[in-house]
Amino acid sequence: MQKKLYLVFSALIVLALVLAACQPAATPTPAETKKAKICQVTDVGGIDDKSFNATAWKGVEDAIAKLGVEGKYLESQQQTDYEKNINAFIEEKCDLIVTVGFLLGDATKAAAEKNPDQKFAIVDFAYDPPLNNVLGLTFATDQAAFLAGYAAAGVTKTGKVGTFGGIQIPPVTVFMDGFALGVRYYNEKHGTNVEVLGWDPEKQTGLFTGNFESTDDGRQMGLTLMDEGADIILPVAGPVGLGTAAAVQERGKAWIIGVDTDWTISASQYTPIILTSIMKRMDNAVFAAIEQVLNGTFKGGVYVGTLENEGVGIADFPAGVISDQLKAELDQVKADIIAGKIKTTP
Amino acid sequence: MATTTSAFHRKIEVVSPTRQRVMGILFILLGLALVFFFTPGLSQGQVTTFGLSLATSDIQLPPWQVHTLPTLYGLAVVSAILGGIQLARGFGRYTNWVLGLVVGFFIFGFLVWAAAGKSLNLVGMLNTTLSRSVPITLGALSGILCERSGVVNIAIEGMMLTGAMVSALVGSITQNAWIGLLAAIFAGALLALIHAVLSIKYKTNQIVSGTVINIFATGLTSYISAKFLQVNQALNNPPTFGGTPIPLLSEVPILGPVLFNNSIFVYVMFVLLIVLNIALFQTRWGLRLRAVGEHPKAADTLGIDVFKTRYMAVILGGMVAGFAGGYFTLGSAGRFDEVMTAGRGFIGLAAMIFGNWNPFGAFGAGLLFGFADALASRLAILGVAIPSQFLLMAPYIATMIVLAGVIGRARPPAADGIPYEKE
Repeated sequence: MQKKLYLVFSALIVLALVLAACQPAATPTPAETKKAKICQVTDVGGIDDKSFNATAWKGVEDAIAKLGVEGKYLESQQQTDYEKNINAFIEEKCDLIVTVGFLLGDATKAAAEKNPDQKFAIVDFAYDPPLNNVLGLTFATDQAAFLAGYAAAGVTKTGKVGTFGGIQIPPVTVFMDGFALGVRYYNEKHGTNVEVLGWDPEKQTGLFTGNFESTDDGRQMGLTLMDEGADIILPVAGPVGLGTAAAVQERGKAWIIGVDTDWTISASQYTPIILTSIMKRMDNAVFAAIEQVLNGTFKGGVYVGTLENEGVGIADFPAGVISDQLKAELDQVKADIIAGKIKTTP
Repeated sequence: MATTTSAFHRKIEVVSPTRQRVMGILFILLGLALVFFFTPGLSQGQVTTFGLSLATSDIQLPPWQVHTLPTLYGLAVVSAILGGIQLARGFGRYTNWVLGLVVGFFIFGFLVWAAAGKSLNLVGMLNTTLSRSVPITLGALSGILCERSGVVNIAIEGMMLTGAMVSALVGSITQNAWIGLLAAIFAGALLALIHAVLSIKYKTNQIVSGTVINIFATGLTSYISAKFLQVNQALNNPPTFGGTPIPLLSEVPILGPVLFNNSIFVYVMFVLLIVLNIALFQTRWGLRLRAVGEHPKAADTLGIDVFKTRYMAVILGGMVAGFAGGYFTLGSAGRFDEVMTAGRGFIGLAAMIFGNWNPFGAFGAGLLFGFADALASRLAILGVAIPSQFLLMAPYIATMIVLAGVIGRARPPAADGIPYEKE
């Protein structure tokens, strides 16, 4: 009797196992639609720099949510990783490789020429002449920075505003140019004499940390600028700027201007000291590029984000800091920039 | 031991006639340079303003104004006179002090020129100098502990980086900066233990072992950062040690805000400096540690446990490096970013060599580096027409010049880097 029971039991178990093993085969899988693969290579700041790598990745994330693509990223720890990471994605046969940052320009160009069928989009770089398989996503950041500079000149109490950059390359200095010229335009309009510390748009010399990683450098630059009397600081150095924000929050009596994204969202612990943010809507640009890949309209060339097409812009000011008059002036300045009446580059 | 080393130093300090003449000419040249490089383009009556208090201080000192041209001429004349005296009869063993003075004049003259018609905050600059020197000095102290016992440790950078990451992680989880700091020290000790086992027990090449730990630390911290800290922001938001002004002392004009209104990392650095200096050179413990680093065989014969001493020194060094790592997150930025130590550990090693394996020497080197860094930022703000890339090189150039020109040959502990084999 007992023996029989064992037999039945074991038979049942075997049956269960067989059934379990067969189940996937038994239910026919729906014909899997191949998801488009979007691959991002970051610059050394890392995917979570709360700045340009993060914003570009948000574009991919939006596409994952709205367009049902598959997204992947590789972080570059150092500049020698660029080529390695791009090649890894080429081998994976990604539908679009998004490289983030001016510094990846050469590596992307080399890879694009070697693999003419691979589609690329690169943030912050425009090739001249353009490559057929690379879409350069560029931004007229100077337009938004000009507005921020104008506003900063109207808000400062010490009559000095400061800025510093990571490495002296065009996508960084373009912020500083626009900012300095915006301050100057305010001075012209109001007969004031607000000084910009850390950048000279004519001589193209200024204050730089020399890297995009050392947050401690950002802190020291912030303290230095405050010591010299600046009460509004624009750090254009990715995560290094968060060190500056920490210094400003500790000392008080000063504002910080965020870059690339709205820092009241991406670095919300510093919201009380953030005057505004100069936003580069890389997420919109990357999303648009992915959309083009999906509907087959992708072609190489250059996309320029401006105030007009909302590729760039400034974030809202905290309540009560900007007078209604200054707000009205800013609207006017913005309209004039879009109309081409004001020059925002030196 | 102590007497023999100081006798040794005194021997080097005797100045050769060539060096006497070269120094004399150098002083005069620096004086002339002040006039030729800096005075053209300045107008009579121009004033340089030096700020003497921080915006946050309660007591505001009036700024110090100097007349630019007369100051420059005055500094130049004094430098030239000192050069003349040096040529004529020499300052003997005080030559290096006079050299320091003349270089100081030159730098001050440079500042007076750079800020002509503008203002420069001297106190802020000194404060930046000090805080810039903190991670470097701590790194150097870590190196001194290891190398005085005869173990080369180039893994300080990796230990700092790991300390920074661990303190951010643990500090965020516990929301307590002190626990984060303890965790950083522990992490440094753990990496140091690996280095100690590899280089003391298995007698591997100590440079290779250190390099491996550096690479490992970069990979590990970047992995944890990418997998956890970035995915969950709450894990990368540790509380920080803000400034802790020391009552009364921090109100002393000029020196107060520079020295006594800092984070605990600065104070601990000073305490460590003094303690380590006394421990190394005044106690039996230090004598034994140095003996193991100079002549382990002799030390062994006298009954000192060479292996135990080296293990202890390396692990203590790792703890100091881990603490230095905590500075980056808990004392500075309040978050961890990949490779955020940015080579400070290596500069610390240079400072150690620079300071001839002495705590205060290393601190001096750290200050020099910090000063060059602070100076470079101020010059950029003043809009001196020097390309930013060159300004960023300034700290390294200053290090090289002083290393080659003033310090000359540094003397490492005799058994540095040589594994000890018990017979």
